[in-house]
Amino acid sequence: MNEHAAGAPASKQERRLLLAVDGSENAQRAVAYVADFFASLPAVRATLLTIVPIPAGDYFANDTERATWVGERQEEARQMLATHVRILTGAGWPPERVATQIEVLEVRSIADRILEEQQRGGFCTVVIGRRGISRQEEFIFGSTSNRILHMAKDCAVLVVE
Amino acid sequence: MTATGANPEADLSRPAVVERLARVLGPHRVPGRFKIVADTSDFFRVDYHDVVILGQTPYLISTCEREGRFGLDDEPKHWVRRATDLDSGATVILKMVFLERFQARVGGIVFDCYRSPKKEARILDLVRGDLRFMQGRWVADAGGNVVRILDYIRGVRFDDWVLERAADHQRYFQSHLREVLVIFLELARAIAWLHEHGEKHGDIRRDHILLDRERGLCRWIDFDFDYVHHGESMAGYDLFGLGSILIFLVGGGDVTLDSLAATRPAVVDRLRPEDGHIIFKNRVASLRKVYPYLPGSLDFILRHFSQGAEIFYDHADQFLADLGAAIADLPAGDA
Repeated sequence: MNEHAAGAPASKQERRLLLAVDGSENAQRAVAYVADFFASLPAVRATLLTIVPIPAGDYFANDTERATWVGERQEEARQMLATHVRILTGAGWPPERVATQIEVLEVRSIADRILEEQQRGGFCTVVIGRRGISRQEEFIFGSTSNRILHMAKDCAVLVVE
Repeated sequence: MTATGANPEADLSRPAVVERLARVLGPHRVPGRFKIVADTSDFFRVDYHDVVILGQTPYLISTCEREGRFGLDDEPKHWVRRATDLDSGATVILKMVFLERFQARVGGIVFDCYRSPKKEARILDLVRGDLRFMQGRWVADAGGNVVRILDYIRGVRFDDWVLERAADHQRYFQSHLREVLVIFLELARAIAWLHEHGEKHGDIRRDHILLDRERGLCRWIDFDFDYVHHGESMAGYDLFGLGSILIFLVGGGDVTLDSLAATRPAVVDRLRPEDGHIIFKNRVASLRKVYPYLPGSLDFILRHFSQGAEIFYDHADQFLADLGAAIADLPAGDA
């Protein structure tokens, strides 16, 4: 497993896939889908990206509390990604074709950050799991998967239900 | 006792404070026993008639504020105190630091919220001079607490003012609704302006609008709520609040299925589930089905907040544009 983004394509045929995950069951389904669907394609590399939004600075009483919070979330993210990587490798993905990326940061929109990463890394496909939020929740807080579907450019988007 | 953290140039010794108290209250009304408090970390220790020193200024503490002006249901808010500025004699509200985290439940949605003195202080700086918002300043006390010193607003809750005029809805529609919505449009513009500057109100409720009787305008209060993650829409929760207030204003109060069942059962028969408020299912959002004289342009906005909504507002600008157009379709009224 590579520690960071899956690096430059090894050949023109290589295809890079950005798999945006969190700890939800839907993310697990997306990982399982990718594990099954793409495992036999040797030219596909996957980067598992997880974004942990940090609450605004006001949330924390002091820098120590913030640092502790960030450290705990990073560790949770590492464990969660390790589980997802095991699903991929268990399905036959060679470890060298799988990279992970953790971003714990203040962010206005997770969708926008995912798409920035897609553009930056030149990923041809973004895979996400739909959380299946209620209309009420979408009304108030919006939907990450819907925003990705609407805003994505120059790539394919796979939304796994 | 000499307060620590005070302006070294100001004489804040106890005799000097007593002298100021005598000047503001009169010599016979100076409290016999009081503490001078420079660090408000333990705000429960700040008692009636204590003097809190903030920066260069002593403040004489009086009552706790309660719901309806600031806060939680009818409980005294010990961290929010009315006070007298002993330099100017002005009445102010002191909001001391109360770091509170809790889970809010709106409809079936649960999310983590918190009270942020720093957010409120930042917004006070941002909106200084903009009278659509409460005004004030903040001072870090001797304990480093961000205490907000708010101008006291003499007035009434905007929703109470509306309710007084809305007993007869058709008359309210003919005579007052346009004026009410013109006021609300300006309040909504103020929120859009906050969003443009990267801030959100965070707790838009109808009891957070005060009608300032001295200035004759409505003003937003209370900016210290925030929530941990706003999903994909920073403005979404504020827009939800604006929509809920608009529905209240257009209805001249909450129009609920229960109240209609009691007073106008025939109307209930023609309502459909999609006419209900998207979050508060007992409230009617598509009010044109209750009050057919409402213009379609106004009902179009209300339906964005109904269970039948096919699209939602993403930005306050869209809401403002539709509201401005709908106001033009309303009767001129008595104003």
